[in-house]
Amino acid sequence: MINNFPWLTTIIFLPLAGSFLALFFARRPMFCRWTSLWVSLADLFLVAWLFTSNLQRHSWSTGKWLLAEDHPWIESLGIRYSLGLDGISLMLIFLTTFLTVLCILVSWKEINAKVGTFHFFLLFLETSIMGVFLATDLFLFYLFWEIQIIPMFFLIGIWGHEERVYATVKFILFTLAGSLFMLIALTGLYLIHGAKTSLYTFSLYQLIQTPLGFSTELWLYGAFLLAFAIKIPIFPVHTWLPDAHTQAPTAGSVILAGLLLKTGAYALLRFGFPLFPVAARFSVPLLLALGLIGLFYAAWIALAQKDLKRLVAYSSVGHMGIVVIGIAVWNTMTLSGATLQMINHGLTTSALFILVGMLDERVHTREIANFGGFWKKMPGFSAFFLFFAMASLGLPGLNNFVGEFLVLVGTIKTWPLVTWFGFAGLVLTVIYILTVVQKTVFEETRNEKFREQPLADITVREVLILAPLALAVLFIGLHPQPVLDLFEGPVGVLIGFLK
Amino acid sequence: MKTILFFLLFFPFVGGFILAVIGRYLPRRVAEWIACASVLGSLLMASLAFGAAGEKRYLLTLFDWIRVGDLSASMTVYYDHLAAIMALMVTFVSSLIHLYSVSFMRDDRDYVRYFCYMNLFVFSMLVITLADNLVFLYLGWEGVGFCSYILIGFWYSDVANATAGRKAFVLTRIGDVAFGIAIALFFLILDQLSIFSINSKAASLSAGTATLLALLLFWGAVGKSAQLPLIVWLPDAMAGPTPVSALIHAATMVTAGAYLLMRLFPVIALSSNAMVIIAAVAAFTGLFAALAALGQKDIKRILAYSTISQVSYMFLGIGAGDVTGGMYHLLSHAFFKALLFLGAGCVIQALHEEHDIFKMGNLRQRLPAVFWLYLVGSVSLAAIPPFGGFFSKDRILLSTFGHPEPIYKFLALIAEIGAVITVLYTFRMFFVAFLERPSLQEDFRKKDLKIPKFMVWINAPLAILAIFAASLNFPEVFGGKSWLAHYLASIPGGIPLSPASAPLERSMEIGSGLLNIAVLIAAYFLYRPEARFLGRPTPVVFRQRLEELLSSGFYLDRLYQVALVKPYQAMARILWLKVDEGVVDDQFDATANIFRFFSSGLQLWTTGRLSTYLKMLLLGFTAIVSALALGWYYLR
Amino acid sequence: MIVPYGNVLLLAIILFLLGAVCSISRRNLLMILIGVEIMLNAAGLAFVAASLKWRLLDGQAFVLFIFAVAASEVAVGLALIVYSQRRTGSLNADQYNQMKG
Repeated sequence: MINNFPWLTTIIFLPLAGSFLALFFARRPMFCRWTSLWVSLADLFLVAWLFTSNLQRHSWSTGKWLLAEDHPWIESLGIRYSLGLDGISLMLIFLTTFLTVLCILVSWKEINAKVGTFHFFLLFLETSIMGVFLATDLFLFYLFWEIQIIPMFFLIGIWGHEERVYATVKFILFTLAGSLFMLIALTGLYLIHGAKTSLYTFSLYQLIQTPLGFSTELWLYGAFLLAFAIKIPIFPVHTWLPDAHTQAPTAGSVILAGLLLKTGAYALLRFGFPLFPVAARFSVPLLLALGLIGLFYAAWIALAQKDLKRLVAYSSVGHMGIVVIGIAVWNTMTLSGATLQMINHGLTTSALFILVGMLDERVHTREIANFGGFWKKMPGFSAFFLFFAMASLGLPGLNNFVGEFLVLVGTIKTWPLVTWFGFAGLVLTVIYILTVVQKTVFEETRNEKFREQPLADITVREVLILAPLALAVLFIGLHPQPVLDLFEGPVGVLIGFLK
Repeated sequence: MKTILFFLLFFPFVGGFILAVIGRYLPRRVAEWIACASVLGSLLMASLAFGAAGEKRYLLTLFDWIRVGDLSASMTVYYDHLAAIMALMVTFVSSLIHLYSVSFMRDDRDYVRYFCYMNLFVFSMLVITLADNLVFLYLGWEGVGFCSYILIGFWYSDVANATAGRKAFVLTRIGDVAFGIAIALFFLILDQLSIFSINSKAASLSAGTATLLALLLFWGAVGKSAQLPLIVWLPDAMAGPTPVSALIHAATMVTAGAYLLMRLFPVIALSSNAMVIIAAVAAFTGLFAALAALGQKDIKRILAYSTISQVSYMFLGIGAGDVTGGMYHLLSHAFFKALLFLGAGCVIQALHEEHDIFKMGNLRQRLPAVFWLYLVGSVSLAAIPPFGGFFSKDRILLSTFGHPEPIYKFLALIAEIGAVITVLYTFRMFFVAFLERPSLQEDFRKKDLKIPKFMVWINAPLAILAIFAASLNFPEVFGGKSWLAHYLASIPGGIPLSPASAPLERSMEIGSGLLNIAVLIAAYFLYRPEARFLGRPTPVVFRQRLEELLSSGFYLDRLYQVALVKPYQAMARILWLKVDEGVVDDQFDATANIFRFFSSGLQLWTTGRLSTYLKMLLLGFTAIVSALALGWYYLR
Repeated sequence: MIVPYGNVLLLAIILFLLGAVCSISRRNLLMILIGVEIMLNAAGLAFVAASLKWRLLDGQAFVLFIFAVAASEVAVGLALIVYSQRRTGSLNADQYNQMKG
C-alpha cells in the first residue's frame, strides 16, 4: 500500500494547497496563521511517518529509492514527472518541513502586514524546495529550482528590513544568472544525449550515461557548477548572501540559510558530480581550495561584523565551506559527513537566526554594540544562545562536530593537507563565535541607551520553537547513527558514479 | 564492572543535566545536594572499580556513537591501572572541591549555573580519564575546555573575566587542532581510533610517523596544559572562582595534557626526537614559569605560574621516559596544589577579595588553621623532604639526569634551577602573606576575618594526602615500598626506560633535598618581614625593569597581543570592508555597470507612453513580416 | 469558394491595418482596445478563409481559440479600464507613464 499511493506528490503539493487557502482567506490573519501551521504540521507528520515507517527499498533504474514516482508529462520532449526519495532526500525534506513549521511560528508576531500573502509565499517556497530535493528528472528539477527563487524574492522584498529592495534584487540577479547558464548546459546535455543515443530524455539516470568529450563535459559542468556555487555559496560568488540574509525577515533568513543553500549543495552531489564525473574530478582541487578559503575567509570577516545577522550569514559561508570540501573529496565518510553537515547547518544556523529575530523584536536593533548583559536580563534566551553558539563552533556532543569531524577525518585519506587546514580553520570559527557570545550575552553594552532597557525573557511560544531545535542538535550530536544509516545506501550509490 | 564504570562516568553527567534543566526551580539545598552527591557517587564508584579490578584491565563499550565506513567511534572505556589511579584522584579532588564550593559560593545567587558546569566538568574529565576511543576522548577534551571557558568567565559582568575565558578557549583550541589532526592521522595510518589498539599496534609505525604523531599530540597537550608557547591563558584563567582554579586549573584539567601523553606513551616512546623535544620544552617552561611566578603579586597568579611550572615537570618525566614519575608528580601535585588554591580561597574570602600578597600578612594569628594547611601545601610545592612533592619531583629529575642521551643532563640542570626557584617563590608567597607585618596591623584590626569553619576543615584530607603522598611511592633505596611504581608497572612505559643506579639515586635525593632546605632558609632571610626589601615583589638586587619583565610573564602576552591579536582584528576589518565589500563585490557591481551602460541608451526609448510602445510594436512587426516575405521571395 | 481567396485576404489585411492604426493613433484606452479587437477579428477572418481554401479544419479551430482569447481579453481589459478610470479619472493612455525607465 505504501508504495502505490503517491506519497511524494502529496508531500510536495500539500503545502501548495495550503498556500492557496491562506491566500483566499488573506483578510483573516489569524486564520491564515493557523491554517498554514496545521498544513505544515500535517506535512511534517507525513514525512515523520515516512521516516519511522519501514520503507521497502525498491530499485528504480540505478538508484536505490525508498519511494519513487514516475509518470510521463510532456512526452514529445521526453520530459517525465519523476520523483525519487532516498535517505539523503528524506532527511532533507524532513528538515524542510520541520523548519517551515518553525518559520510559521517565528512569524506569528513578527509579520503583521499582508499575512495571507506571506504565508502563501512561505508554503509555496516549501513546495518548490521539496520539489528540488525529490525531482529526478532534470527538467522537473530545473523547474522547481527556478520557482523557489520567486517566493524568496517577494519574501525579502516585501517583508524585509531597511535595504530589502537592494538585497532582493541582488539575490535574484545572482541566482538567476547562475541558473540560466545551467539551463543552457541542461539543454545542451539533452541534445547531445539525444543525438548520440536518439533517445531524447531528461531522466537523470539516462543522462548520467551520456558519453561526452572532455572539453564538452568541462563546459557543461562549469555551467552547472556556477549555478550551484552561487546557491551554496562558494567563495567568490557569495556576496549576495550577507545582504539577502541580513535584510530578510527571520523566516526568510531561516529558509534561506537552512534550506535554499542546501539545494545548491544537494544539487552538486545529486546532479553535478554524477552527471560529469570526469570534469568533476578535474574540479576537485579547485573546490577544495575554494571551500577552505570560504572557511577561513568567512570566519575571519565574521569577526569584524557589527550586525549580528550579518555575522551569522558569514558563518553560513564558512560552514558551507566544510560541506563543499566533503562533497569534493567524495568518499563514504566525507559524503556522509557533508550531508549530515547540511542538516546540522540547517538546524544551528536557523536557530541562531531565530534568536537574532527574537532580539530584534525586543531591542529593535541588530547592532552587536547595542546588545549586552543578556544573561542577567534574559537567562533563558542566553542559555539557548550559548547552546547554539557552542553547537555552531563544533563542540563535541553537539551536532556540528559529527559532520565536521567526518568530513575532515575522511579527507585525510586523499587530501591530507586539507585536513590540516580544515582543523586550523575551526580555530577561526571559535574566535568569532566566542567574541560575539561575550559581547551579547556576557558583557554589558557600551550604549547607555540600551543598558537600562528592561527585556522580557523568552515566552512559551519561543521555547516551543527553540526546544525542538535544541533536542535535534543534541540528538544528532549524541546519537547520529540512525541518520548516518539512512545516508549509507544513497552514499554508496553516489560513490559508484565516480568510480 | 561495566555497571560500575557506567555509573562512575555518568553520575556527574546526570547531576549536571538535572541542574541544567530544572535546577532553577529547586531549593538551594537540594541543588547543592544533587551536585555533591553525584560527584561523591562517582568517587564511590571509582573506589569500587579500583577494588574490583585488581590486576585486570577492562575494555568496555558503553554506547555506539558514530559508525561510517571504516570509521567507528564508539563510547568505549579502557580501564587500566593508569586510568584507575587518575579516576580516583579526579573524583576525590572534585568531591572535596564540590563540598568546599557549597561554602565558598554561599553568597552567590548563581549557584545552579556554577554547580551545573562543575558537574559537567567532572563528567568531561572522567571521559578523558577513561575513554578508549580517541573521538570519545576528544568529547571530554573539548568538554573540559568548554567548562573551563564558562567557569573562568563565571563572574561575567567584569569584562576582563569573560575575556580571560575566551582567551583560554581559543588558545586551548589552537592546541586541539593538532590533536584533531593526530586523530585523523591515527585513523589514516592504523585504521584505529582505540587507544588500546593503537598502543598494541604502535610498534608498526615508522620513526618519522611516530615523531609526527608524538609532536602533534604534544602540541595538543601543550594547549591544554599551558606550556610554552601557549602559556598565557592560565594566569588569566585565575579570574574564575577559586575552587574552579583549584579543580580545573590546577588539579585536573591542566594535567590532562600530560595524562594524554601517558595514555599514548607507546607512540611517544617510538620517537626519541619527539621525546627530546618534549623534555626540552618542559624544562624551559618550568624555568620560565618559575621565574615569572617570582615576579607576581597576586596570590592566585603565583599559584597559576607554579602550576604551569609543576605540570612541566610531568612532561619532563614523560620526555625522559618515566611515566610512573610523571604520574606520581601528577598525583602529589593535584593534592598540594588543590590544597594551596583552596587555602588561598579561604584567605581571599576572609580578606574580602584581596588578592595582593603584599596587602596580606599577619595571617598566622588571624587564620591559624589556614596557616598550617597552607604551610603543608607550600613545603610540598617547594619539594622539601620528606613531603610528597619532594619524592615525586626528584624522581623525575633523577630519570632525566639518568637518561643516556647527554642532552638530558643539561635539561636536568635547567629543571633543577627551576626547582630551586620554586622554593624561592613559594616561600616568598608564604612568608609575605602569612608572617607578622607590624605595618599592616592597624589595617587588619578593622577587618572582619570570618569564614565558615567547614571551608577550612574540608581541606584536611588534602593536607593529609599531601603529607603522606611520599608513602605512595617511597623510594626503595631508602627502604620504601614504591607501591605506585609496582602498581603502574603493568601500563605501557610504567617501568622507566633507563632506571638510575641506587647510589646515584641516593646521592641525588639527599643532595637536592639539602639544596632545597638551604634555599628555604635563604628565602626566609630574603622575604622575612624584617627584610629591607619587603615592599618589593623581588629582592632589591633586581632592577625595576627586571621586575616588570617577570611580573608580565616575560611580555609574552603583550607580544601575542601586538603580533597576533591586533593584526588579526585589523585584518578582519580590512578583509570585510576592503576585500569582500570592495574587490569581490565590486567586481559584480562592475559587471552590473557594464549592462547599465549599454542599457542607458535603450532607456530613452521607454518613454512610458503607451502609444510609443504600440508604434514600436507595429514597426517591429512590420519589419519582421517584410523580412520574412522578402526572404521567402528571394530564397524560393 | 464563392469569394476568391485573395479578396478575403485583402479584406483581412485592410481590417487589420484599420485596427492597427486605430490602436496606435488613438490615445483613449477604450479605442485602443477596440482596435485590438478588430485586429484579432481580421486574423480570424484570414484563418477561416485559409481553412476553406485548403480544406483543413485547423484554421477554424484556431478561430475558436481567437474568440476565446478575444473574449477574455475584453473582459480583463474592460475591467482594467474601469479600474484605471476610477483610480486616475482619465482614460488617456499616455498618462500611464509610471513605468518610464
